[in-house]
Amino acid sequence: MWLKFIGSLMIVTAGASIGFSLAARYMERPRQIRQLISCLSALKSHINYVAIPLPDALAQCTGGITGPVAELFHAMSDLLASDGALTPHSAMTQALNSIDALVLNRPEREVLSVFSANLGGMNREEQHKSLELVHVQLSRIQYDAERLCEQNVKMYRYLGVCGSLAVVIVLL
Amino acid sequence: MNNIHNMLAQHIYPVLPPRLVQLLMSLPSRIVQQATEIRIRANQPLQLVMGQQDIIVAEPGQEICQLEGYRCTREDLSRTFQLICKNSVYAFEEQLQQGYLTINGGHRVGLAGQATVFNGAIKTIKNISSLNIRLAREIHGCADRIFPFIMEKKQCYSTLIISPPRCGKTTILRDLIRQMSIGKPALGIAGVQIGLVDERSEIAACQNGIPSVDLGPRIDVLDACPKASGLLMLIRSMAPQVVATDELGRSEDAAAVREALHAGVSVIATAHSKTLEELAERPYIGELLKENFFERYVIVSNRLGPGTIEEVFDCRQQKAIYSGAHEVRVCG
Repeated sequence: MWLKFIGSLMIVTAGASIGFSLAARYMERPRQIRQLISCLSALKSHINYVAIPLPDALAQCTGGITGPVAELFHAMSDLLASDGALTPHSAMTQALNSIDALVLNRPEREVLSVFSANLGGMNREEQHKSLELVHVQLSRIQYDAERLCEQNVKMYRYLGVCGSLAVVIVLL
Repeated sequence: MNNIHNMLAQHIYPVLPPRLVQLLMSLPSRIVQQATEIRIRANQPLQLVMGQQDIIVAEPGQEICQLEGYRCTREDLSRTFQLICKNSVYAFEEQLQQGYLTINGGHRVGLAGQATVFNGAIKTIKNISSLNIRLAREIHGCADRIFPFIMEKKQCYSTLIISPPRCGKTTILRDLIRQMSIGKPALGIAGVQIGLVDERSEIAACQNGIPSVDLGPRIDVLDACPKASGLLMLIRSMAPQVVATDELGRSEDAAAVREALHAGVSVIATAHSKTLEELAERPYIGELLKENFFERYVIVSNRLGPGTIEEVFDCRQQKAIYSGAHEVRVCG
């Protein structure tokens, strides 16, 4: 009896945690996209107003932000500072691959990839245009991510708990 | 002896591709010691300029001065440009329009290539085909000879240092500023508050706005700021006794110098020319000479090497108060 009870509890706990972690991923994604937009806005100011070189600008644009998005910009800054021959595009690709806690999906990764390919090689006016475009694209992605979040968070949580309970009932 | 090697290792090698660094490091120390410029041209050999002459940098193991050395590739140039710009062309936009970049240590890198013109103005330079890295040197004491003619116990004379390019006038100006900022307590000369407008970041070699060379304790530097607006801004904001700047030439520079002198501030500046007579023929700056705005002119040449003081001319007395006809070189 106790064995069955403990087994059932473990199944419910595992199912619930899978459901909650999937839900957390849906909640985290819009937050990270919001942080990305904030960092890129700050980067725009550092490029247009202060015109500081990219490694410094990337390190400074994360002011007030912590977590994987800040780590992404710091990693990119460190890569560019340590290897002057590295292009911003390669640095962004390496940084995106190195941070596991990022929950960014393909659309935002593509936007970042295209943006980094045009980063640093043009004058302030062109950089401004490029950053404006990225801002618009990420805002759209953020809107979609928030809608997905609303739809899916409760569903995955209930699915995790109820699904595991269903498995327990079937097994019992 | 190690100074030049340290300087190259700190400032120059980090902006060069590994192949060029390897070639430069293989050169004998006596040659590197005399280097004033490194010239990199697409599909041409790497050159090292030493005062009036230059050498072609050969492959390691080859004799120096052979005509066929290592030929720099377009890739070498674009890599060097990328390293200098730190992947941040936008941060050097104005400098690129002027055809140069300044790297850490105050070394000026001249650029030649294909200009992109928009509405009659140069927007940028693309397809860089030549780079000239001019090695800036900090030589303490190279202004010793002229210092007593410019600073007295209670007076600092407005001075124009005149020389053709590559004669060491920026090096002399840098040391003169340092000495004026420190003063000469042994001679009873106190240091003065100096405002420096370093448009090309060559004199103070600022890194993040802070001078990386010794300019004494009484210096306020306005880095990468246009001379004309910078001079007036410093006078209003920092109340200096002396303002200093490099390479006067444009009409707005002359107007700013006029205003500074009328405001009761001494001006120390430099200008490109061989002689006073030639300088007087130049527009704008020539007018300053004709109207006797400066009190001292220091003529510098490279007759005996960069930094040879040919003459110190007193404008009030209209005569030379120092002649270097029999002197030896003091810097470079």
